[in-house]
Amino acid sequence: MTAYRVERRLEANPRHAALARIYGAIIAMVVAGLLLLLTGRNAFQIFWEALDAIFGSQRGIEGVLLRAIPILMTALAVALSLRMKVWNIGSDGQFLMGAFAAVGIGIHMSGPGWLILIVMAVAATAAGALWMLVPALARAYWDVNEIITTLLLNFVAVQLVVWASLSFWRDTENAVIQSTKPVPYTLAGLPGTNSLTIALLVPLIIAAVLWWIFRSTTTGYEIDTIGGNPRAASFAGIRVRFRILSVMLTTGGIAGLGGMLQLSAPGAQALGPGFSAQFGLSGFIVAALAGAAFGGVLVGGMFIASMFFAGLVLQTKGLSVYIIFGIYGIILTGVALGEVAARYRLVRQDILATERAAA
Amino acid sequence: MVSNQSVTDSPATPAVEARGISKSFGGVRALDAVDFDVSWGEVHALLGENGAGKTTLCNIFAGIYRADDGEVLVEGIAHGFRNPSQAIDSGIGMVHQHFRLVETMTVAENIHLGWPETPKIISQAKLVERTEQFMEEIGLHVDPTAKIWQLSVGEQQRVEILRVLARGARVLILDEPTAVLTAPEARELFAVMRQLVDGGRTIIFISHKLNEVLEVSDRITVLRNGIHEITRETAGATAVELARLMTGEETHLDVVHREIDGAIVLEVNSVTALNDRGVEALHGIDLNVRAGEIVGIAGVSGNGQTELAEVICAVRRVESGTISIDGEQIANRSARKVIDLGVGHISEDRIATGMVASAPVTDNAILHNYWGDELSDGLTLDRQGVVTFAKKLVETARVQTRSVFTTAGQMSGGNQQRLVAGREALVARTALIASHPTRGLDVLAAQEVQTSILERRDAGCAILFISDDLDEVLLMSDRIAVMYEGQIMEVFNRREADRERMGLLMGGHAVEEATP
Amino acid sequence: MMLALIENAFLSLAGSAIPASTVVVLAATGVLLNERVGVMNLGQEGLIGIGAVYSVIAVSSWSVGSPWIAMLVGMIAAAVAGLVFALFVVVFKASQVLVGLALALGGIGLSNQLGTNRNGTPIQVQFQEVNPGGKFDDNDFFEAFLFHEPPVYLAYIVIPAFLWFLLFRTRHGMNMRAVGENPAAADAVGVRVTWSRLGYTVLGAALAGAGGAYMVLSFTPTWSPDIARGRGWVALAVVIFAGWRPFRAVAGALLYGGMISLGVTAQARGWDLPSLEARDLAFFLSMLPFLVTLIAILIPAGAAKIGRRVRSTAAPAALATPYSREDR
Repeated sequence: MTAYRVERRLEANPRHAALARIYGAIIAMVVAGLLLLLTGRNAFQIFWEALDAIFGSQRGIEGVLLRAIPILMTALAVALSLRMKVWNIGSDGQFLMGAFAAVGIGIHMSGPGWLILIVMAVAATAAGALWMLVPALARAYWDVNEIITTLLLNFVAVQLVVWASLSFWRDTENAVIQSTKPVPYTLAGLPGTNSLTIALLVPLIIAAVLWWIFRSTTTGYEIDTIGGNPRAASFAGIRVRFRILSVMLTTGGIAGLGGMLQLSAPGAQALGPGFSAQFGLSGFIVAALAGAAFGGVLVGGMFIASMFFAGLVLQTKGLSVYIIFGIYGIILTGVALGEVAARYRLVRQDILATERAAA
Repeated sequence: MVSNQSVTDSPATPAVEARGISKSFGGVRALDAVDFDVSWGEVHALLGENGAGKTTLCNIFAGIYRADDGEVLVEGIAHGFRNPSQAIDSGIGMVHQHFRLVETMTVAENIHLGWPETPKIISQAKLVERTEQFMEEIGLHVDPTAKIWQLSVGEQQRVEILRVLARGARVLILDEPTAVLTAPEARELFAVMRQLVDGGRTIIFISHKLNEVLEVSDRITVLRNGIHEITRETAGATAVELARLMTGEETHLDVVHREIDGAIVLEVNSVTALNDRGVEALHGIDLNVRAGEIVGIAGVSGNGQTELAEVICAVRRVESGTISIDGEQIANRSARKVIDLGVGHISEDRIATGMVASAPVTDNAILHNYWGDELSDGLTLDRQGVVTFAKKLVETARVQTRSVFTTAGQMSGGNQQRLVAGREALVARTALIASHPTRGLDVLAAQEVQTSILERRDAGCAILFISDDLDEVLLMSDRIAVMYEGQIMEVFNRREADRERMGLLMGGHAVEEATP
Repeated sequence: MMLALIENAFLSLAGSAIPASTVVVLAATGVLLNERVGVMNLGQEGLIGIGAVYSVIAVSSWSVGSPWIAMLVGMIAAAVAGLVFALFVVVFKASQVLVGLALALGGIGLSNQLGTNRNGTPIQVQFQEVNPGGKFDDNDFFEAFLFHEPPVYLAYIVIPAFLWFLLFRTRHGMNMRAVGENPAAADAVGVRVTWSRLGYTVLGAALAGAGGAYMVLSFTPTWSPDIARGRGWVALAVVIFAGWRPFRAVAGALLYGGMISLGVTAQARGWDLPSLEARDLAFFLSMLPFLVTLIAILIPAGAAKIGRRVRSTAAPAALATPYSREDR
């Protein structure tokens, strides 16, 4: 009779860890569905209906993709920093600041559309990077934990956007709306679609570039090494501080660019208090779920975007959008527990005996 | 003066007894059905190599681990200690190699930590008073108001001992206590041990140092690979016999030493440097190493060896002085520059600074050469080439792993060190800094590492070999420098080396003081 | 005349700052408790929300008449959430960052969901201010500093004092601090690391819940979505700024409250700065608490790196690291 024992390892096999995270998320969702069942709402059925609505029509698919763009941008940003074990909780703030800068350019400058859009993109990226500057310097030079610093700046960004949309950039022509004037420039549409723009290509390109960087360049190797063991990295001659700074600024830039891209989404040309529907948080969850693997981020991003969409459907059935937050929380917990589970393995007692004999 | 009294009147019931104790960690058998007993009023040495199971067995006595099989008896009564405080209640206290002290708290606080007898309401003054009183009774003294991080290692150890005694430990387990002490401090410790044993207590003294064991113990037990080899009276035992029991065979490396006439490769001039606490750790070090020569640095850990290796490899600032490799100044330049000059570094703590435990073997294999022409063109990294390189390295260095994609942290310590040492040997064209390269390794792995270092010597590298194992230093080095408190006490040729003299120097006594 | 104006402004500021910061003080004290034993709980926002919503439920659905009982209900609800968090993080050793964020999200979601039908409806049961009336009524000074609801006194004086005494003048407190600094050392001398971490995390969560309860039972007497409004995160920052010491945390929280009420007062009194309208000033001031907290965190870190390391304000050395006896 073979007995089993649970044994603990110090390091998890990355492949096991990835699978475990996914299983954790799936189990979490089932649990969430069961909990909802207890409140009398059949979430599984609703989810199924939502899936049908999403993938059953071009409109549905486009809706999900539209939703996915900002989430993918923040997710990629967070994933990049996560490779270095830097927790960028502030991608929302960087996203908003990117939009802020882009709006500033867009409503005050005039000229040929393509040129203005380029300037907006550059300004947005720079603004996002700048928003990361203080946390990046604090982390690189003073070892200040970036969780709280980036988080606090999130709130500052939110307040700044509120201020701008209600005060100095307010759309004074339209008394009802509480937002800035709309930006008259949008990106070119994607041929073959009704509502998508070329913005969709940006996260795909960035993901591909990031994937290439980490697979085939020394820079990517150095970043992974810093994430794995910063001291060993410095002993290997890697300029750790410089890398931390440059990577953190880059993540800010990516998130900021996401903000600019979002301005081209239908109905979102103006900046108002509700501009970011927790994209930063969703992006963080995607990055955590994917274990900072960029291909996984793309998949996870699509998945979360679908959930978002499903959430809208759920809203029509009486569930508030806050249920989605709750589900996110449960998923994150499932992922965290999955990571723990990956460190354990079941060992058969008879295998132990053979190992002993061989020794 | 310490004496070996043979124990003539051992009481029938042993103080502590282990019967059939087995313990495994993650598939590795640390202890295999070990029987072991200790009598009252004796110093009992537990001897064995690294990984023999000595610490594991004692951790089980002390309630830190739970045995998978077997039982522990205290005065004939079986106990299944679930945590350290249960063990302490039964009178067993352990002083570990790595101290379990809270650095930011004072001596008085640490002694009173977790102790039911501490009054419920406390103040610094009251704790200090109680501590002083207790120190009077036992006869050991440390400044009770000092914070632990301010104390020397020897003093910290004394705090650990006091703490355990305060709780009424009658069986005291000391795990490699002299590893961090200077020779005079070790002598003091032995005197204290005798004093405590004469007072009726029992001491289990874990060590791998034969001479100490022969000097201070009454009985010796040898463990090897988790198995109980033998228990015998110390009187009449010889070092050779014990060594054979510890290692299981007579293995030795034949090291041929030749005349050195190569050019000076590594030159260290009047180097001063600070340690992590901002205290000066190197005071004007002068040292040079020639091509094809091994210069050994002997000394107890903590006398500046770490900092010396780090300044040479340019990961620590030099406050004053110069360091050059092949004539090129490297003090305060970049670590990358030093590696590019062909300097390999087997760092003293591979997990902390030598490798990335969470990364696969491939990534670790290229850690110190990934930017070179072989694998990169400046921006890109040839992943295929990396795999090939890693496979070659694994084979050359005899790393036992099923695949080069295994996570490095999952390999055994010996294999990790084989990987790191093999990697550094490849990097080392001009020089190799080997810092405690065989620490924690079993005999076979240690010999392999030593062999690869000797190969580098024969290829013309200048080698700096740092170790706190005097026998190893004497074995490998052509010249030996003794370090004490951040200074080179003396450098001499291996032929002139004399253990007695070196021991004194390691303890800080200048040679003039040695009475013939 | 000028002096009187300034005094008047200062007192009115103090009077509104103190209640405004009470939530932060309570949550920060809770954070201090669990971080001192080495557990970092990022889920404060969620805990405040849970405490708030369950107090509201207690009053409106369960007809609880006393604000104290309602607060207790909120505290218990938050403590339960804290227990689940502690279980995952201390016993299963899951990532404290991930599970903490999950708690923040989940707590916000849960509380907002439970509170959806109660937006804007006033909560009948409230804490009453302490006011002996009579000749003290006209005194501005007393108004500012003494006539507050009882929880304020608990939060600002009683609890921090008790905590200070517990941590620094009792055997138990010393053992707890050791758990946060070096759990292996504490374990070696028989301190129950796991139980300590579990217990203090639950207590800390209960305090955050008390903060949430106070919000709806006094400060803003109705429910609204996102009731915590970032105060949970600020509490986390305040503890860092305070060097993990109870009274400094109170000071830090007051700083935060001071900024908030500065903004509110400015708007209410129509203060203008040249070139900034009162409304714009209010917007600017709403950013200020977060910016100031940010700077407040950076100062000790910078000082530590630039000057000598000031050990007394360093974090508990084992913060956020799981402990397992066989990990060596």
